[in-house]
Amino acid sequence: MDANFINPFVSALVNSLETMLNITPERGTPYLKKEGQTQGDISAIIGFAGPNVTGSVALSLPTPVALKFYSLMMGEKVYRITNDVQDVVGELANIVAGGAKTELSAQNITFNISIPTVVVGPGHTIGHKGDIPVMVIPFEIGKHRFVLEVTMKLE
Amino acid sequence: MRILVVDDSTTMRRIISNSLRAVGYEDIVEAGDGQQALQTLDGVNLLLTDWNMPNMDGLTLVKTVRSSAATAQLPIIMITSEGARDEVMEALAAGVNDYIVKPFTKETLGEKVKAIIR
Repeated sequence: MDANFINPFVSALVNSLETMLNITPERGTPYLKKEGQTQGDISAIIGFAGPNVTGSVALSLPTPVALKFYSLMMGEKVYRITNDVQDVVGELANIVAGGAKTELSAQNITFNISIPTVVVGPGHTIGHKGDIPVMVIPFEIGKHRFVLEVTMKLE
Repeated sequence: MRILVVDDSTTMRRIISNSLRAVGYEDIVEAGDGQQALQTLDGVNLLLTDWNMPNMDGLTLVKTVRSSAATAQLPIIMITSEGARDEVMEALAAGVNDYIVKPFTKETLGEKVKAIIR
C-alpha cells in the first residue's frame, strides 16, 4: 500500500490527539496485518467508498488508553468502558476519517465515509472491506500501545 | 445569547457546550439531529451544527432554516469533520456563515462565535 495514502490517516490521528487531547503519541513502524484479531479492547471502524476508492479505517485501543482519551476529552474520569467512552472513540475515528478525506481530496481521491461502528471486548475481530491488505500503524502513549488500521484500494 | 448545538454524538455536544461555557457562553440548548433542531429554534440566536447526522443532516437543516422567513437571518456555523474544499463550498452555498473543521480548540470555537455575533 502506498504510504501517500496511509500518511493522511496517521497525520489526522496525531492532529486530533494533539488538538483535542493535548497529547502526542509516539509512532511505531507500520506492518501488514496477518490475523483478523485486533489488539485492543475497543475499536471504532469506519468504511469509506468513492468513485475511485474503497476501504476502511479502524482505531483500536486497550482499555487504559480509551479511558485516558475519554478523561482528557470530557474532563471527567471513568473506570470502565461506558457508552460515553464508546461514543468518544467513535467520534475520534470519525475525525480521523474526515481529516484523511480532506487531505486525500487534494490528490483527487474522493469518498464518503460511513458512521462509526464501535466494537467492545478483548480479542474481538475487525471486519475490514474485502481482501485488501490491512496496514497496521502502532502508536504508544506512556507504556500503552494502540493501533490504527487502514485498508484502501484504488479502483 | 442562546446557542443551539446540533450533533448526533452526545459526547461531541458536551465537548462543544463545555467549550462554549469555557469562553463565556452559558445559555446553550442541544439537539441530536436536524429534525430535533427545527423544534428547538425558538429564541435561538446562533446555530452550531454537525453535517453527518441521522434523520435530517446538517446541510438539509441549514437549507430548511434559510428557507423560512422567521429564521432566514439566523447565524449558522457548521462544525464537522468534512473539510474537503467541495464540502466547504457546498455548505457555504447552502447558507452557513462560517465553517469549523474537527478537531478544533475551544479558543478557535470562541473566536468564530465572537466574530459571527459581533
